[in-house]
Amino acid sequence: MEIGPTIPFTGIPWDDALFVLLAGTMLFAGILVVTMRDIIRCGLAMMLCFGALAGIYVMAGAPLVAATQVLVYIGAISVLVLFAIMLTQSKVGPTRLVFQTQAVPAAAASVILTVIVLLAIASTDWGGSPAPPKATDTAAVAESLFTDRVLPFEVVGVLLLAAVIGGVFLAKRERTPGGEDPGA
Amino acid sequence: MIRVFVGTALTGAFVVGLGLIGLAAGGSRSLNAYLVLSGLLFAIGMFGFLARRNAISMLMSIELMLNAVNLTIVAFGTFVPKLAASAQGSVIALIVIGVAAAEATVGLAIVIAIYRNRKTPLVDEYDAMSQ
Repeated sequence: MEIGPTIPFTGIPWDDALFVLLAGTMLFAGILVVTMRDIIRCGLAMMLCFGALAGIYVMAGAPLVAATQVLVYIGAISVLVLFAIMLTQSKVGPTRLVFQTQAVPAAAASVILTVIVLLAIASTDWGGSPAPPKATDTAAVAESLFTDRVLPFEVVGVLLLAAVIGGVFLAKRERTPGGEDPGA
Repeated sequence: MIRVFVGTALTGAFVVGLGLIGLAAGGSRSLNAYLVLSGLLFAIGMFGFLARRNAISMLMSIELMLNAVNLTIVAFGTFVPKLAASAQGSVIALIVIGVAAAEATVGLAIVIAIYRNRKTPLVDEYDAMSQ
């Protein structure tokens, strides 16, 4: 049995339905990240948000970026965030206020920003092609990354090295002068 | 009370945004749908960064904003023919992901270092400068 390009009886294309589903998942998870009380659940919602975003990258025709998103964000950064949450979780837990007193102005500012962005998008002709997105050729990405863009690539490598050294330096316990590491 | 207000406002923006994506011509085939989505995600991240008390929540909100920008880059890289021909969108997005990973590492290390001194992850209790 063949599956047509649209959902039966409705005429909605499958890719539009999938896009709206992924977009809704991503935005809903994003809202959960910023509003939920238990910060561990915020971290898990962040993983869901990044996963849905990886699906959107695939639909936008960037499969390599989607794979990197899964590896780096879901695999590495989320785990890092969850470890940091567990290290800084206090015994009293999330019983106290989640938001600062400036939450209402912050919400107003976010809504205003959304409206401005939507108006700007609606009123601008971006000159993009209306064709369905074609998947980016991974070989073309690699060729560009290692020929034209090799300097930014190397600079990012050096930056990551600096970040690793800086992270270790910041997070390690200070030694007491002349003594052994107190916590180790 | 504040939570109810904020939740209502954000959910309203969410529903309006989804409707706009649905109405945008072409749905998943149009650049506008991706840009609207990216703008909404950025606004959510900005709200989280401004409103949360926990330093790690603020870092998570920064990650959301970085991802929103990345989505914009990928969308432009796909839909602008000149960029799509040489796959520049994916290249720039990959480099941004690398920089964001470095930022997350150092940011979380700073939060942990401050937590070790002050015994709290709440940013409004970091008041050493105002004493």
